[in-house]
Amino acid sequence: MFNRRDFLKSSTLVALAPTVPGFLTSVARAAPSQRDGRVLVVIELKGGNDGINTIVPYADPGYAKNRPSLCLPTAQLIKVNDHVGLHPALRGAARLLESQRLAIVQGVSYPNPSRSHDRSMSIWQTARLNPEKQDLGWLGSALDASDPPTDGSPGAVLSGIDAPPRALEGQRSRAATMSGFEDAYVSGSLNPRRAIAEPGTGSDLKAFMSRSFLDAYTSADRLKEVARAKDPGGVYPETQLGERLRLIAQLLKGGFHTRVFYAIQAGYDNHYGQAAIHAQLLGELGNSVGAFLDDLAVAKLAERVLVLCFSEFGRTVQENGSAGTDHGTAGPLLLAGPCVKAGLVGTTPSLEDLDPGQGELKQGELKVGIDFRQVYATVLEEWLELPSKTALAGDFKRLPLFQK
Amino acid sequence: MSTERQTASTSKHWAPYAPGPDAPWNLRRVVYLHRRAGFAATWSELQRDLADGPKASIDRLLSGKARMEGVPSDFAAVSETLAQRADNPTRLKAWWVYRMLFGPDPLTERLVLMWHNHFATSAAKVGMAGQRQNQIFRESARAPFGELLKRIVHDPALLIWLDAPASHKGKPNENLARELMELFTLGLGHFTEKDVKAAARTLTGWTVEKGVFKDHMNLHDPGEKTLLGKTGPWKGDDMVRMLLEHPATAERLAFRICEIFLGDGAVDPTIVKSLATGLRERNLDVGWAVETVLRSETFFAEANLGNRILSPPEYVVGAVRALELFNPAPSTLILAEFIANLGQNLFYPANVFGWPGGRSWISSRSIVGRYNYAVALVGGADVGRGAAFDPWALARRHGQGKDLASVVAFHAELILGRVPDLSWRNRILDTLGAEAIATAATARQAVALVLASPEAQLA
Repeated sequence: MFNRRDFLKSSTLVALAPTVPGFLTSVARAAPSQRDGRVLVVIELKGGNDGINTIVPYADPGYAKNRPSLCLPTAQLIKVNDHVGLHPALRGAARLLESQRLAIVQGVSYPNPSRSHDRSMSIWQTARLNPEKQDLGWLGSALDASDPPTDGSPGAVLSGIDAPPRALEGQRSRAATMSGFEDAYVSGSLNPRRAIAEPGTGSDLKAFMSRSFLDAYTSADRLKEVARAKDPGGVYPETQLGERLRLIAQLLKGGFHTRVFYAIQAGYDNHYGQAAIHAQLLGELGNSVGAFLDDLAVAKLAERVLVLCFSEFGRTVQENGSAGTDHGTAGPLLLAGPCVKAGLVGTTPSLEDLDPGQGELKQGELKVGIDFRQVYATVLEEWLELPSKTALAGDFKRLPLFQK
Repeated sequence: MSTERQTASTSKHWAPYAPGPDAPWNLRRVVYLHRRAGFAATWSELQRDLADGPKASIDRLLSGKARMEGVPSDFAAVSETLAQRADNPTRLKAWWVYRMLFGPDPLTERLVLMWHNHFATSAAKVGMAGQRQNQIFRESARAPFGELLKRIVHDPALLIWLDAPASHKGKPNENLARELMELFTLGLGHFTEKDVKAAARTLTGWTVEKGVFKDHMNLHDPGEKTLLGKTGPWKGDDMVRMLLEHPATAERLAFRICEIFLGDGAVDPTIVKSLATGLRERNLDVGWAVETVLRSETFFAEANLGNRILSPPEYVVGAVRALELFNPAPSTLILAEFIANLGQNLFYPANVFGWPGGRSWISSRSIVGRYNYAVALVGGADVGRGAAFDPWALARRHGQGKDLASVVAFHAELILGRVPDLSWRNRILDTLGAEAIATAATARQAVALVLASPEAQLA
């Protein structure tokens, strides 16, 4: 394939002087945190995670009744208390819970949940119940209120090959996408950054392109520096999510001042034959997050990091005719890291006392307990120490998610 | 096709383009036309169309006669052979890239990309069934939408993708039901969750056996369903009929067609509505809508030039066409891989929503990736070409290229339809270095910078 030059020996690496990207303007911003370096890692469980088989309400009579074939035997669950247990594949998550590094927020959604992937995901990403095309991402918008990193690190990083998620889209703040150190490699011997005009402060397409192009080469250069450190990384499961979290850990160990990282784990939309794939995904999730936090602990970075796992909706209470589930409503949100107040937050949604939803449907869905924006507000204000009101277009009651 | 088909109902918003002082028929518009309705064009093709005017140029694009070079005489036979020999998705991708690059009808291949995005189905789940689906997109690309829709919902790929075979009487699943309404026809806001449940029952019976569609009566729920306000013992084909008759389907189609031909911020709801009205009056005739858009004043308006980001196949294949790299040509397998790395893994959309397109094509990875592709393309070896590209030879063949600056200018006109401005050109020359001498290698570096510049991503 590529005929690669060893970019680590490249002599044309441009040493970027304090690279405050050209688009910054002097707008009043929140004071930088005294406890510098707090990081949020968001993991998107794409497709609609079946929360009922994740945090299993085994003692609820509605569980076995509604899920004749998908019902997990109680004896196989990892018991959390007399009401709920974890899916057996979540061994990694159980370890985190035991070591006080996992909080499970139950019954999370928003009023009148949408069952469209696209719409519901837009709602979670923009923190707007009626998202419009111009609405920014909740994290991008929050990061706009603070100074970007001064070392050339991107404000946010998507680890993987996906397109940058809307959640990270801000007015000024933008995300880099990185899948590995090979992304730092710019072919040939020229520095293409020199051919790009400095953008104005406009918001039109041309300015977007110029800014994006300049940022891209800045990010590539910064990534090159980390690559040179040759950190072998910790021991991670040989899975896509494991790889993505490993890269994030390498960037943190390499000194990136990036505050928000994002990774997508796809495959949760299982209308047919859910059991095996769901177990595989949850296993991957628990083991990868566990490996990630352990890796960071060895590097003495774990205290700085909070992991947040969310999905665009849960699944139907009743399994469908194909040993799968269809699109539902509320679901659990997971928070992991040494900083969390470990345990269950909120009440476990009942599988018998359901929200009837639209009229004559025989079968209702899980009632919404906690509005996801409450979690966002708590994470923004108490963890990242960023104002949440503009990002979330309102004030939301905080939750007791962190240790004092 | 003729102009009589553009009737009064749409003429206000889709008035035909006529060259004038505000919108002259110049090289910029010719390049623009080929970028939007094809995969770029060679210098000779551009000059021919510049001379012949918009009507003749669009006629040629619509009838698959726009390419005057780089179409092998045995194209159809080779394409057929490649299709038959494609025994895995990698070769399937390469086959499609071969068609985009060498086929006589690039407009149809652009529409196949549109349908692939609209009915996004992944080979990760359906394997090689995606090939037949792709061929249906090609055959029915410009037909009245009912023809395409009926063929696609009776084709194994979509049914397997959306779990139809597992959906039976008494045990339905909602996957196909929901996406058929939300994505393929009506769009959000025109159906309820009750409709999804009724539709799931309605569609039972549609299954796939030995790779062939079967409508199994004994798996079908024959009871009464209330679907989109109408009650009856509906079957799948009844639902398809209802969806085709529903006014919202025309709106969604109009949106899709505007989305690929118009740019960022140019898809105004009023003009979409107007195109939808026209579609409704003409049995959802996609070909009519495509022609109406391409011939319109709106399409050629100054404000619309350069406001659309090239998708990965347009960027990758367009560069090969413009630079006339036909013999030896780059490896289609390698081109398909580049297209995937830039964010569009053909035949493998991440989910049924396809690729959002627009600004989402632009990420730090894809920006560096586009530059790396340009360097590889002009160098030759890394795209599987035996020879490096000679920018001097191309420029001189077309009567230009006395020095480096003029080679840059020629390639800017070829790729962008103009030199954006002198400072753009000067930045490129500066990047080459003060000691840059007029060698083939330096000219290649310059062309890579032109191809990968931010301005060249906007067509």
